[in-house]
Amino acid sequence: MAQSIGDPTQLSLAGASRAITEGALSPVALTEGYLDRIAALDGELHSYVLVLTDEALTAAMAAEADIRAGRSRGKLHGIPIGLKDIYKTRGIRTTAGSRVYLDHVPEEDAETWVRLHDAGAILLGKQETHEFAIGGPDFTLPFPPARNPWNTEHYPAGSSSGTAAAVGAHLCAAGMGSDTGGSIRGPAAYCGIVGLKPTYGRLSRRGVFPLSYTLDHCGPLTRTVEDCAWMLQALAGHDPKDPASVDMPVPDYARALTPRIDGLSIGVIRHWHEEDAVAGFGPESTPSPAYIAAFDAACRTLESLGARLRDIRLSPLLDYADTNRLIMLSEAFALHETDFRERPHLFGRQMFARIGLGAFLSAADYVEAMRQRRELCLEMAGALGEVDLIVSANYTGPAPRIDAVGTWGVFERASYTAPYNITGLPALSVPIGFEDALPLAFQIAARPFDEAGVLRAGFAFEQAAGIYRQQPPMAASLPAR
Amino acid sequence: MSEPISAERFAYIAQRAGLDPEKIGAERFEELRQGTRFVERMQRTVRRPLGGQPRERAAEPAHIFVHPKA
Repeated sequence: MAQSIGDPTQLSLAGASRAITEGALSPVALTEGYLDRIAALDGELHSYVLVLTDEALTAAMAAEADIRAGRSRGKLHGIPIGLKDIYKTRGIRTTAGSRVYLDHVPEEDAETWVRLHDAGAILLGKQETHEFAIGGPDFTLPFPPARNPWNTEHYPAGSSSGTAAAVGAHLCAAGMGSDTGGSIRGPAAYCGIVGLKPTYGRLSRRGVFPLSYTLDHCGPLTRTVEDCAWMLQALAGHDPKDPASVDMPVPDYARALTPRIDGLSIGVIRHWHEEDAVAGFGPESTPSPAYIAAFDAACRTLESLGARLRDIRLSPLLDYADTNRLIMLSEAFALHETDFRERPHLFGRQMFARIGLGAFLSAADYVEAMRQRRELCLEMAGALGEVDLIVSANYTGPAPRIDAVGTWGVFERASYTAPYNITGLPALSVPIGFEDALPLAFQIAARPFDEAGVLRAGFAFEQAAGIYRQQPPMAASLPAR
Repeated sequence: MSEPISAERFAYIAQRAGLDPEKIGAERFEELRQGTRFVERMQRTVRRPLGGQPRERAAEPAHIFVHPKA
């Protein structure tokens, strides 16, 4: 059956799902296709730390039987996905990328994986992560860092590095990452895919190794905005056992996807990348001319789709970024304090250095940061009282070489993603172009729980720009066997 | 970007924070010292008044407390 549609791993999640529904594609063929690609390509990409070949094939056969018997569980039934290795999986090793948990086999599943499993998704494996979602790329860890699918000499960003690399290289249909300061949206940008950090409280974080309790978000990484909407539909909803989860109605996200966005008002934050990056972080954060041109072109595309754009000004980027980092380091150090004091040798170099800074922060520092956080939230809420959406930069240049990423880069370079962690707002990273054959991206953010809004604008932009049709050479079909 | 704090002062604050240089090792201990310049920047940033207005004493933090359900 699969021959009629060619290589099924070239389909988007939505495309594969439609083919399965129409009987044109078997979940077994799709799963085998991804497993073949992992076997052929992951020795270079390093996106998986554990491949569940037998389990995935067994699940695919069960899915096929169920679907043929008329027991479809919906759009994700029979779709092979991956999980960042901080998502707990019952009976399946979950390491958080650390020697501390090298042999850890959880007794429970992450709630998000429960929801995806119940929706019929098939787990291909666990994917490489920076240690505890912060320490990487680190060549001293048990698992080698994932590489960028567009050029494996380059950095895929992190910490959801393995998931983004695997999605970009078509080694899974979609995956789950986590985002405390940009760990979904940064890798999405560098790997040329779509990454959504939903509103704080929209998705359960239960069963995912924490980094920073008040900043952690779970979210999907996909090749298209439509795929992202479909994943979110299965994931969203209240989890009474996650203290941050909010009981809000879940809309039909796919219905929000329209080719035009007439009447939508969008605030554009230019000063973060045009002024604040250099002023706050130094000349190394200067955006590339190609990035500025791509960002401006993307804004013009949004206007051509019917949106009304106007520039807005908020506090300097450094205020958002440093407040986010101070809170993250305080909470993360508290979480790992005992291990840091008693067995620091177990941590990788990057994890130790970055989180170790939390040892030197005081309770007053943390409270001041939380007071600053409230002010920044109010400022952002005020801006979103006047516009429907906000557009701002993501990484302002192409991915660097992986061997050029140092321990302190996360503090030295401007972070454009942190403002939406500190405010908890939904933010979507969408590709906007290329520089040196490596992807560029921007972000679309919205009011709390308006994921439909960011997906709507992201979808319209994606369809008009057509950048998603360009795939990395590594994503091409394998030679016929 | 400011310089990292002196080795002597770093040894003091590390001891106060309960970090043992013997367990950590000299190389990692020094790398941590290099990072203190970012700590000082963050401490300054979160105390900087937004929009030029000093933070009022009554300005509340972003609350994270919620009444848990049993």
